[in-house]
Amino acid sequence: MELGKFLTAPEYGFVIVTYRDIFQSAALEKSRFGEEYRKLSAVIKMDSGDIKKLGVVEGDTVVVKNACGKVVVRVEESGYDVPHQGVAYMPNSPWSNSLVSADTGGTGVPKYKMIKVMVSNARGEAITGMM
Amino acid sequence: MEIYQLLPKTNCKKCGKSTCMAFAVALLSWEVAVEDCPPLKDVEFKNNYEKLLEMVAPVEGSTETGLIVHEDKCFGCGNCVVACPVNVANDPHGAGIGRAPTNDKLILRVEDGIVRAFNIQECRRFGENRILCNLCIITCPTEAIEFV
Amino acid sequence: MVNCLNKNYYVCTGCALLCDDIEVEVSGDHITKIKTVCRKGFSRIGGCIEPMPCTSDGKSVDITTAIKDAASILMNADNPLIFGLGNSTSGAQKQAIELAKRIGAVIDDSSSFCQGPIIEAILHEKIHTCTLDDVRNRADVIVYWGADPSNSHPRHLSMHSYFPRGEERQHGWEDDRTAIAIDVRRSHTAKICGNRFYQIPLHTDAFLIEALIDALSGKVPKVPFEYDIKKILELANVLKKAQFGVIFAGLGVVYSIGDMGTMTRLMDKLNEVSNFHLIPMMGHYNMRGFNQNLFEATGYFNRVKFEKRENGFDVKHGVDYSIMEVLNTKKTDAALIIGSDPMSCLPRSTAEYLSEIPLVSIGPCENFTSRVAKVTIPSALSGVECGGSAVRMDGVKVTFEPMIKTARLSDEEILKRIMEAI
Ligand code: SF4
Ligand code: SF4
Ligand code: SF4
Repeated sequence: MELGKFLTAPEYGFVIVTYRDIFQSAALEKSRFGEEYRKLSAVIKMDSGDIKKLGVVEGDTVVVKNACGKVVVRVEESGYDVPHQGVAYMPNSPWSNSLVSADTGGTGVPKYKMIKVMVSNARGEAITGMM
Repeated sequence: MEIYQLLPKTNCKKCGKSTCMAFAVALLSWEVAVEDCPPLKDVEFKNNYEKLLEMVAPVEGSTETGLIVHEDKCFGCGNCVVACPVNVANDPHGAGIGRAPTNDKLILRVEDGIVRAFNIQECRRFGENRILCNLCIITCPTEAIEFV
Repeated sequence: MVNCLNKNYYVCTGCALLCDDIEVEVSGDHITKIKTVCRKGFSRIGGCIEPMPCTSDGKSVDITTAIKDAASILMNADNPLIFGLGNSTSGAQKQAIELAKRIGAVIDDSSSFCQGPIIEAILHEKIHTCTLDDVRNRADVIVYWGADPSNSHPRHLSMHSYFPRGEERQHGWEDDRTAIAIDVRRSHTAKICGNRFYQIPLHTDAFLIEALIDALSGKVPKVPFEYDIKKILELANVLKKAQFGVIFAGLGVVYSIGDMGTMTRLMDKLNEVSNFHLIPMMGHYNMRGFNQNLFEATGYFNRVKFEKRENGFDVKHGVDYSIMEVLNTKKTDAALIIGSDPMSCLPRSTAEYLSEIPLVSIGPCENFTSRVAKVTIPSALSGVECGGSAVRMDGVKVTFEPMIKTARLSDEEILKRIMEAI
């Protein structure tokens, strides 16, 4: 029995930084609603240590959430040579934007590159669909 | 040795090589083709067979100097095109200054968003006075060019 | 279209580099081959598989009906918003500004939440800038700061900033240029910079700037995080020795430092001890055009409201007229979105309000915003199906011709017809 299923997966705090990816941008020009764009957008890149800590492996899904929203996305290893525990990267997309706060602190500029979230093992839950 | 892992690993010798490892090495140097391994054609190896074909495909498409472009990784940024000393020498007012090629003498050029290789005999890794040039490799953001 | 050596070159509108050396082969109405274009541009020129439908209230209509319905939505609104235009020609942008005056609209673009502060500093001449051609011909020290052009502006390094030979840079990049990356992660661009990559912790750009100013002033730099001070001194030294230096400022540094005060001081210091320029890494191909066109019309480069008066209008400006604020406060009661997808690029909780108000969406392709719009109007893909002019990221005006024909109207024609229907 998958007992784990009934226990809540532990959550860990992360800061997400968004970035641009040429393959994702190319997919966007072709179709915003297509599988390719979704595959390249609904991704979180993490430090290998963090991936272990969450109890997932590359390709598994994780729940990423905060007060603004919740998305389920696929985990990838960042492959960066310098460890970056606690910092994760997501391509700029409707998935990352689901987590960005509307509050701009009076500047009119959302904090796209500093998104505080909690991340946990999604235990196989499917990637969030957009529309 | 990803290639070896996909072979039957029975050392059956039906391919004419003494071991599967030897076949894997021969495959890498294009001495043999994936089809030369009879057991691979069995249904149980269908997936492996297809994977191997995929893996060896770019190798088979490579040229005498062993230059391979991994098209799926290429950004089409043109860094290699402009950094290649042969391109600069052959097209100083086109590729040399970062712009569209003005003649057909280039080794590397970008078409449909991906770099392609031509006139490969001009590459400095080729011919009598060859040197181990790697300028197109170190200027690539994504390791899309490889020499085997 | 530049005619040179009997070749017709076109312009790619895939990003604000507006590469003007693109060759296309066409058969009938189809593009069969595109030369010298990067992966991103290739994908843009190829177009999308979900073209914008022509609809009103969910039903397919002809273009005249869609334009009439769009006009009536905008006419009946008290606080309309016009947003987008980064992927439109300057002609369309000017037309949109006229429309905003006519209907008393707020008009804003995505610079409002990205490169705005730098553009402001440049348009007000607080920061020394130059053109990409200057960079190609003269730059010896190039800094990519919080920017990853390899992904966002793929031909940046090969066409302008690092690899090409230039008038005063004849020996090529190995001997003649030093490329430096400052970022929070080793991006693809940082990789190319090799050991000239300076990795800093998140949101510490302002501290690094202060440390560099100190180092350039002959003081001992310090930063409130663990860092090899020798590296900062070494970086300051390279910057100081530059004959012609340029900083390409990306969103990473803009978001991190917030306002441009610190960057302006660094630029001032650099220009005291050497010769430095700054160019913003604008994203959409004509975002800078929008900023300049609005600046010419109003003295402000984004976040403008034309408030109607008995005869004419007052021009208001400020954060209260930013797309984020007008949507967050739910002041907007109808919106016209042109060539943009705020539903996907704004924070979701802000963007969702757009689905509660009557929306007109104009663009070549269907997007998340058009799917909740009351009226959708298909337009020609600019740079591919219609020509015009645009402003490159460095402020240089570029004109372009269409590559293929289309029956679809351009943004400019559509906006003109909406105006006529009001
Ligand atoms: S190895 Fe050197 S000469 Fe050959 S293609 Fe690459 S850069 Fe050009
Ligand atoms: S092979 Fe590398 S350097 Fe050359 S165009 Fe492709 S991504 Fe750029
Ligand atoms: S760099 Fe930008 S303008 Fe140039 S070809 Fe690529 S997408 Fe088009």
